[in-house]
Amino acid sequence: MGMRNRTVSSDSSDSTSTSSGGMDGGGMGGMGHACYIYTAINNPPALDPNPDVEYYRSIDMGIPLTMDDGKTINMWGFADSAGGGMGGMGGGSATFPSAPMRVRQGQVVQTHFSVSMMMAHTIHHHGIEPEYRSDGVGHISWDVSGQQYTYQWRPAHAGTYFYHCHTNTVLHAEMGMYGALIVDPPDGPGRVFEDGPSYDLEAIWAVDEIDSSWHDLDWAAGTCGGDVGLNELNPDYFVITGVDGAQSALTAPGIAVTMNRNDRLLVRYICAGYMPQTINFGGLTAEVVSSDGRPLPESYTTGSIDAVSAERYDCIIQPSSRGVYTVEIDIRDWITGDVLGTARTRITVN
Amino acid sequence: MKRRDFLKASTAGLAGSLVGGVGLLSWTPRAHASTIEKTFYITDGMVTQGDGKDIYFRGYSSNSSGLNVPGEHLIVQQGDQVEITIHNTLGSSHSFVIDGISDETVNSGRISGGSSTTVSFTADNVGTYVYYDNRNAPYNRIAGLHGGIAVMPVNSDDELYPGSPTFVQQQFWIFNQTDPDWNDAVRNGDTPDSNFTPRYFTLNGLSGRPPGAPGSGDPAIDSMHDPRSALHGHVGDRTLVRMINVGLAQHAVHTHGNHMEWLTSDGDIRPVWEKDIVPLNGNNGIADIIFPFDTPPDSWPPADVGTYPMHLHDEMTQTAGGGLYMFGSLTDIFFE
Ligand SMILES: [Cu+2]
Ligand SMILES: [Cu+2]
Repeated sequence: MGMRNRTVSSDSSDSTSTSSGGMDGGGMGGMGHACYIYTAINNPPALDPNPDVEYYRSIDMGIPLTMDDGKTINMWGFADSAGGGMGGMGGGSATFPSAPMRVRQGQVVQTHFSVSMMMAHTIHHHGIEPEYRSDGVGHISWDVSGQQYTYQWRPAHAGTYFYHCHTNTVLHAEMGMYGALIVDPPDGPGRVFEDGPSYDLEAIWAVDEIDSSWHDLDWAAGTCGGDVGLNELNPDYFVITGVDGAQSALTAPGIAVTMNRNDRLLVRYICAGYMPQTINFGGLTAEVVSSDGRPLPESYTTGSIDAVSAERYDCIIQPSSRGVYTVEIDIRDWITGDVLGTARTRITVN
Repeated sequence: MKRRDFLKASTAGLAGSLVGGVGLLSWTPRAHASTIEKTFYITDGMVTQGDGKDIYFRGYSSNSSGLNVPGEHLIVQQGDQVEITIHNTLGSSHSFVIDGISDETVNSGRISGGSSTTVSFTADNVGTYVYYDNRNAPYNRIAGLHGGIAVMPVNSDDELYPGSPTFVQQQFWIFNQTDPDWNDAVRNGDTPDSNFTPRYFTLNGLSGRPPGAPGSGDPAIDSMHDPRSALHGHVGDRTLVRMINVGLAQHAVHTHGNHMEWLTSDGDIRPVWEKDIVPLNGNNGIADIIFPFDTPPDSWPPADVGTYPMHLHDEMTQTAGGGLYMFGSLTDIFFE
């Protein structure tokens, strides 16, 4: 666990920033600063006593990610703490990205989220549109610190989503605090959405850029002011679903795809970074059938897709000829459009 | 300036300070075209950012002693004759340009320091446009000389274009990014010689102030409570938002609570997709969306009252001066 010795108090009113008082800040070398963090939970919603699905998530601030050049970067994430044993607070061991959530349209879902009092985080189920107190946005409802909080939602639309932290989001999501969230239609995996296209196999490609210079920052970095550089993202690594896109993702199990000719592959493409991306399917043709958890009024076929931060595109690929196809995702500078880096994986068609 | 019923926009005033805007756009359809007149004053001044720094801006202001960044949003009707008079109160040369709104070219040409001109054109084409200064591009525009103008279809108060999905209210979201070095160069009459490194990110000229921050809740300071920016509605109050990005960075516009209906991109009518992220290009990129104010579909039990954010998902934009998360380009959406 990469916990640091900064704290946030969880006393106080809605509008509290715990910038100085009430904690050990003075004794911690001037640290102990977190501002505009809202830890008071007032009037939480009643929970359904009979949820269909329950997830348990806690925090892991020390996830080593080894890159192809041998360097190790520290990531943050949500540990799957089902099975308990955490005392509800601390941690568990997470991966990058965090463990997926997969539910069925119409199920009542509860996400139980535990955070130690040493820090604050939330879970925002991106693209899911729940009651506001289950939306995980600190300044509107609250950040979670020093307790367990339960988000409740009932997905109405099948499709590809993701969940991520919404506290000091600019930093926490970049640090890797996200995981895939898949909503299946009533007839389950194998169909993208109700009455929608079928598929035989699927891949989840969450493509992200990493600026390793951000990865020594404290969870509350910048929240009280001061220039910690969060306006400038200068990525030096590019990953597909947590695997270095320089080399490893070309062959990584679960990312690189091996399939039979004429089988239908569903690619769930998530633009998980902040910079715009272009995914090129390496000569294969993709039928884009839905985006952001909604069917397109008409699907279309393409060899590449431009995407911006947090967009999702669901693509059916049904290759008719054998071959090895290299899929390339260019991550482009948000101002100049220059390609900052490229992540690659492969579709091998037998 | 002559104010017409059909040309209402945010109230100017508050001499010497940025006007956060208190008026609401209103629109009365007419069977016949009219002549619309509007006067702008090119002025300058300092605007205090979320980290307390004062940054230099120029704007198309509604009076000679104020500073409006962006300029007031304007709404006219297709076929209207529009006459915009610009008084340049500064010493530098500027211009007033609108691309695509008319079959004629809408370009004032050079407006020298201290001089005035009137730009006249027919609003031939329905849709959303940006008026801006194309001199010293893109520096003058980014330093504040920009605003939004809409052309409504004839005799319609609920369509973006004839036959479009309908709405019951409309507003503009104008996004910008600010690199203080660039604005300083504009102030000094220089051409910026550094890469664009934005440190401030705004929506209709303002940025967020989270609860507890100085200025939080003040509609002249806090973009979460600026009535030009925040969405307010009951279920069914479908809201057209005309989004313009006068800066250089490409944005990912994200709403919580509802997906958006994505109607146009850079002037092109699109098949309507429901999206929780809509891309918005830089350099005067434009996208029109309708926020439907439907009951949030995944609420359980179903709930149609509550507050949600709109923020950019290129999260660097959520900061000010390199930190201060939530002091960037965002607003709130109120289901009432
Ligand atoms: Cu977090
Ligand atoms: Cu998100």
